Amino acid sequence: MLRKRAEGEERSNRQKKTGEERLFSKDIHVSNANLYYGDFHALKDINIDIPPERVTAFIGPSGCGKTTLLKCFNRMNDLVPDCKIEGEFLVGGEDIYKSKDVTGLRKRVGMVFQKPNPFPMSVYDNVAYGPRTFGIKKRAELDEIVERSLKQAAMWEELKDRLNKSALGLSGGQQQRLCIARALATSPGIILMDEPTSALDPISTAKIEELIGSIKEFTTVAIVTHNMQQAARISDKTGFFLLGELVEYGDTHDIFERPQKEETKRYIEGRFG
Amino acid sequence: MEKSRIKEMCGKVVFAATAALCIAAAAAIFIFIIMKSVPALSETGLGNFLFGSEWAPDANDVYGQPLAGSYGILPMLVGTLTATACALLVGGSLGFFTAVFLSYYCKGRLKAVFSSVINLLAGVPSVIFGFFGIKVIMPLFNMLSPNGNSSGLLLTSVILGMMIFPTVASLSKTALEAVPRAYYEGALALGDTRDQAVFRTVVPAAKSGITAAMILGVGRALGETMAVVMVAGNSPQFPRGLFSSFRTMTANIVLEMGYAGEVQMGALFATGGVLLVFVAITVALLSLVTSEKKNGGRGGKKRGISLFGGRKICFAGKVFSVVSAMFALAFLAALIIYLLIMGLPHLSGQLLFGSYEYGGEISILPSVAATLMTVGISLVIALPLGICTAIFLNEYAGSKNPFVRVIRGAIDVLSGVPSIVYGLFGAVTFVTLLGGSYSIAAGSLTISVMLLPTVIRATEESLRAVPMSLREGALALGAGKLRTVFTVVLPSAMPGIIAAAILSVGRVMSESAPFMFTMGSSIQPMPEGAMSGGTTLAVLLYYLSGENLYTDEAYACACVLMLIVLLLNVAAELAGRALQKKFQGEKNAKKKSRRRRALEQAKENG
Repeated sequence: MLRKRAEGEERSNRQKKTGEERLFSKDIHVSNANLYYGDFHALKDINIDIPPERVTAFIGPSGCGKTTLLKCFNRMNDLVPDCKIEGEFLVGGEDIYKSKDVTGLRKRVGMVFQKPNPFPMSVYDNVAYGPRTFGIKKRAELDEIVERSLKQAAMWEELKDRLNKSALGLSGGQQQRLCIARALATSPGIILMDEPTSALDPISTAKIEELIGSIKEFTTVAIVTHNMQQAARISDKTGFFLLGELVEYGDTHDIFERPQKEETKRYIEGRFG
Repeated sequence: MEKSRIKEMCGKVVFAATAALCIAAAAAIFIFIIMKSVPALSETGLGNFLFGSEWAPDANDVYGQPLAGSYGILPMLVGTLTATACALLVGGSLGFFTAVFLSYYCKGRLKAVFSSVINLLAGVPSVIFGFFGIKVIMPLFNMLSPNGNSSGLLLTSVILGMMIFPTVASLSKTALEAVPRAYYEGALALGDTRDQAVFRTVVPAAKSGITAAMILGVGRALGETMAVVMVAGNSPQFPRGLFSSFRTMTANIVLEMGYAGEVQMGALFATGGVLLVFVAITVALLSLVTSEKKNGGRGGKKRGISLFGGRKICFAGKVFSVVSAMFALAFLAALIIYLLIMGLPHLSGQLLFGSYEYGGEISILPSVAATLMTVGISLVIALPLGICTAIFLNEYAGSKNPFVRVIRGAIDVLSGVPSIVYGLFGAVTFVTLLGGSYSIAAGSLTISVMLLPTVIRATEESLRAVPMSLREGALALGAGKLRTVFTVVLPSAMPGIIAAAILSVGRVMSESAPFMFTMGSSIQPMPEGAMSGGTTLAVLLYYLSGENLYTDEAYACACVLMLIVLLLNVAAELAGRALQKKFQGEKNAKKKSRRRRALEQAKENG
């Protein structure tokens, strides 16, 4: 018990000393990945390298495997029964399906969902949930983390006076930004976003896009979106998926201006999808 | 990290173990009841037991010589089945039509009122039904009876019918409301009247759900004990007419258990065994009906029921629906008002807080104490076990796990076992285990087992209401399963779990049969501790109502019991509503407040 606490303090001291620097790198390398839901072959031979501290967008029609791939990066597919995964997933330099430390992985790889899912507790407790999971109990330390995370999510000013109010009382857009702050609270190197703005109005969407632009300075963002303008606006790299295959992957500019594959071109021009 | 994995494993094992306990409990009930009945059955023979038409326990003749008794339960078997069938006729039809009324002929506040009526009726203790039967309905029926005494089949059927009514009504209502609205609209679009659309299209579509409701009603009627004992007359003979005295199997056990000799005792356990067979049959039928529902019903010979086709007949159905609902409301109102009028004036200080003297003054204080102790102990046991089992079923076990099917079967059995059989079970297990004498602890343990299905189902329902996205959110933040369950899922489900706890309190207050052979078979003085005997309020009412000496006290006791149970039910309903609000109500609440604001503005403007 004592040793654990000492370790925890040491870890947090180290974090303080080195600022945002962490032990793990922030890139993702996937090679020869295949995924099956029972008999259904959902991802086919995926190879992709996601660069650190950039925004990478996954686009493609519904059911093409974007979200499935995203959920591989923090092993959320483990929740799905009959899901079989093959291939190598190097997240931060570590083969995540060989390691048993799923919770540690999810600390380093945060996730934001399609629908805002704040817990039915106070704003403060929502943000402090992750740090508390990893054993941080001191009020002062938690206060610091909550403030930092809310500042990173550009919400500190609007929420600092209602930290003890229920998070369910916030508007949909605020709830989603709170979820981003909650994910930032564990200081992840990577954040996954699964259509984070599809349930929101245009103004809230704009705020979240702005936020993504600012967090990419210290975090890798992988985002699934149905909105092609959004991908074009915010991402540095874009991958186009079709029927479980990664059809094309490259710099966003190139994908939208000079797509190499016929399918990509047709999808971007809006001829199907 | 290793440590947290061990913690997760331990959690899973604990949850699975509690779930396995349910299977053990269900199995133990069967094993003990059968084991205890074997000696008697081998003496009389199974055939003579089941088909013998004379029940005359061992006795001494006038010269003090022992007379070998005969133990045939056929009259009681027939009695139970006849009473159940008649009760189904009364309660089943009343329940069905009320459900139709609730789901298709009323809206808004009216619907809320009638739904509460059904819930409240479901919570009324069985002794109160019996008491009301003796005091109010019996005098009415006596006027019709040729010999001026109406305790018997008709009275029992009416009382039993009213008791199964809430079960049938609420489950049928759920089935009717699950029918897609499009069926109803489709029928209207084809030119049906509203009544025709309801009775020709919606009702047949909800057939399997309604059948399930009826089967559960039958299960409840088969197992009902205390109310029946109070109104059936209880002579061990075949029912010969509407006003003939008869005896059910459950009544047989209550009446004779207290002074039974060895063989007689065995025969009573065997009677319990026969009841268990009926339970097993209803559970099997139920799973058959519900699995058919899942498979979309049998195809092939589907004929519209031509009887329900015509406009006039469907209109008659509507009239029946309205009348049934009104009748239920009137019955509940009569029950409450009657008990208040008769009971409140007799609530004296002596009765509430005085001391109890054997054969002299009566006070309900010892019973209140005994009831509170029973409630406390049984909740401490049943709540953690039930909640852990529900967590295992809903959070850990996959739906395809064969273990889960066995657990669900065990829970169905536990909820179907008649309360009197729980009494028998408690008498041979917990009473023996705790030193062989009646005690509050033994009674509490018995009722804890009985509470398990209630707690598990209510908890599971509230766990299911917690959106999946919250669990995902916690897991994605690196929380383990245990942490997710305890910090996110359980707190979100808390109102539902509180409702389950309140319902359990109500259940303990209203049960009486399981306490008769575990806590003491006569009125007990102030309990000195958990190991001394006790008489709960409901049991006290049963004893008082049998003695004409204490009529006023009986009324007062019934009034107190009724009020407590009603309050608990209202509280449970409020807690349940809070749960709904937590997840769906956010927007609605805002809308409401906006509406209210608009109203206020309108008022200000004149």
